Amino acid sequence: MAKSFSNRYIFIYSAALVVVAALILTVVSVSLKPMQTKNQQAEAKQMILKTIGVEATRENADKLYAENITEDELCDKGYIYYSYKDGVIIPLHGTGLWGPIWGYLALDGNGTVVGAVFDHKGETPGLGGEIATDKFAQRFIGKKFSGQPIVLKKNADKDNYYEVDAISGGTMTSNGVTAMLEDAFERYGSLKALTIEKEEDEQ
Amino acid sequence: MKNFDLIKLPFSKENPILVQVLGVCSCLAVTAQLKPAVVMALSVTVVVVLANVIVSLLRNTIPPRIRIIVQLVVVSTLVVLVDQVLKAYVYDVSKQLSVFVGLIITNCIVMGRLEAFAMVQKPWASFLDGLGNGIGYSVILIVLGFVRELFGSGTLWGYPVMEKLGLYSIGYENNGLMIMPPMALILVGLIIWWHRSKNKDLCE
Repeated sequence: MAKSFSNRYIFIYSAALVVVAALILTVVSVSLKPMQTKNQQAEAKQMILKTIGVEATRENADKLYAENITEDELCDKGYIYYSYKDGVIIPLHGTGLWGPIWGYLALDGNGTVVGAVFDHKGETPGLGGEIATDKFAQRFIGKKFSGQPIVLKKNADKDNYYEVDAISGGTMTSNGVTAMLEDAFERYGSLKALTIEKEEDEQ
Repeated sequence: MKNFDLIKLPFSKENPILVQVLGVCSCLAVTAQLKPAVVMALSVTVVVVLANVIVSLLRNTIPPRIRIIVQLVVVSTLVVLVDQVLKAYVYDVSKQLSVFVGLIITNCIVMGRLEAFAMVQKPWASFLDGLGNGIGYSVILIVLGFVRELFGSGTLWGYPVMEKLGLYSIGYENNGLMIMPPMALILVGLIIWWHRSKNKDLCE
């Protein structure tokens, strides 16, 4: 420790260190990228399939996806959605407490939610991160995506089509999900596939 | 210090969380469930061991004036590596841990061991020291994860233990406080209390 170092040494040392670190990271990042991208794409397909009750593994996601989901289409407002045999699947995008959250809702011809799945980039594990669990997603089944947006709240009324129980300890994330659903409702609320029987719901 | 002590002491009298009270913030954040706690424990152990060895190897070349920066570069590189590897090979787990992997960089245990030990000790001793501290941290994390998930959510590793035991039907309720971070702090406090009562010499 008593050794003294010249300024020149310090500059060269730090520059060399940073370059070496950058090189290592670049090599690793480039070589692992294909695997990571594959994971992400397969995951998106898995999520979409899950909303209609098809459990896919990372390996057979491509095949099952091709079998179950028909072409993605654009709605009148220019947003993408997917179709399956009984209805449509709409993608959701929003922000939670720490970063992006997203998900998919599968709807039947009446606009009733038949399946949901959510995920997040960086919500707190065990709290807001719980939106990624099946337990949370199942709360959406049977709710209505027509007439008005679904909201998350404490002690939600189970029989109310537009209320879902929020996550305890994850209020900010829950608020994010509510905002995301509102947003999605604005985008897709007027989908033809959903509006046909909309009047029924408004009684 | 004997080599065996380097591994053993962090378990008992020099536990990073219980005695040095380092790394507490991640220990509050990721222990609401067992699985993230275990993966976090493993990741921190890997990072602290490797960082200790690398810094120990470089210790005679590191100019003291920029030593913290050098340590940070080493730690960040390792953490980004761990993160990338997790994303490629155990994608689901990496998603569960999300931000906390990145936050290993700021875990005081890592920097603390580098400053206090690896900068002045040989690589093998540093390796053992890193391992001991990593395990000492892991044990507490896993204990917390176990207790909090069991009593907070009624599950273990996602398996519904309480439901299978039929406790809900006789009026058992999950303790919502368990999944809140303050409860982790209270539990750590209780463990420290127990730990000090066993090791009287640690009391001031």
